[in-house]
Amino acid sequence: MADLDWNDDEQMIEALRDALASADEVPTAFVEAGKAAFSWRTIDAELAALTYDSAWDTLDALAIRSESAILRSLTFASDGWTVELELTPDAVLGQLDPPEAGTVTARGEGGKLATADIDDLGFFALRPVPTSPYRLVCTAASGTTILTGWITP
Amino acid sequence: MRDDPTVVDLVTRARDGEKKAWDELVERYAPLVFSVCRRYRLAQPDMDDVGQSVWLRLVEHLPGLREPAALPGWIATTTQRECFRLIRTTNRVEPVDLADSPDVPEDAIAEEEVLRHERRAILRTAFSELSRRCQILLALLTQDPPTPYDEISRRLHVPIGSIGPNRARCLTKLRQTPALALLADGPDERTRR
Repeated sequence: MADLDWNDDEQMIEALRDALASADEVPTAFVEAGKAAFSWRTIDAELAALTYDSAWDTLDALAIRSESAILRSLTFASDGWTVELELTPDAVLGQLDPPEAGTVTARGEGGKLATADIDDLGFFALRPVPTSPYRLVCTAASGTTILTGWITP
Repeated sequence: MRDDPTVVDLVTRARDGEKKAWDELVERYAPLVFSVCRRYRLAQPDMDDVGQSVWLRLVEHLPGLREPAALPGWIATTTQRECFRLIRTTNRVEPVDLADSPDVPEDAIAEEEVLRHERRAILRTAFSELSRRCQILLALLTQDPPTPYDEISRRLHVPIGSIGPNRARCLTKLRQTPALALLADGPDERTRR
């Protein structure tokens, strides 16, 4: 950013032009989407951070992997909980560890995208596979809620 | 960074669940997120992704935000990180050219955009404090391209010869507005780092 001499009329005009123009350049939808993000604060959950993503592996490894049905595998972990995911074309397969029954919901920026039951062994198959970025909210029968980081398909 | 009591107040209210305060925060800082994204030449859909991630992170981050005054810096740095993450995941390769480019140090970009954002906000506030007449004249002069003097003369019903002096007078008033007077003890130190 160029230094600005506040006493120079030409520079002041230029700075003002930049300031006035920049107010109009941000699309309304961009701002509105930001405002909508506030609804996430009502989710009181344990945050599980991404600890493994097969997309981190080399391109060679990805090529080998893509021959099997599993396109991508991810692991999210928080204190005491792990959520392992396999993103297949047909479903998001997941394993909650320690195993516990409950429900799982994929939430995108606009709200719920898909919901499925988690069985007694902690396994779930979520359909349809979301096509836009989402997070999983796993609610275990014991009352614990686990929220994964963002997953970009 | 200047301690802005408004920001502290907005953060506190948003943290307590006030949606209106959150909306104001987003309106205030969306241009900052936007301009950082522009530095990485992101297309609009990618900018939307980054924007979403930044705001959602901020929602999570609000309760733990110890120094609300440091918010602009946090937003700029987080936006930058999200830009890198997006570039990395879409290309599945490290953004070597961006990260390792010697003439674009990362924190310099974030800091620069924070200062630019602050400067723009101050100038807009100062502009809004001017008389209607000065606002119209300066708006015409800051068009791109600038409105010619003879057209200004026709539209404002003033002699061409008075436009130059009025321009200087309005700029002086702009410098004397409370918003810019706040920086009177040294705007140069603020922008020159």
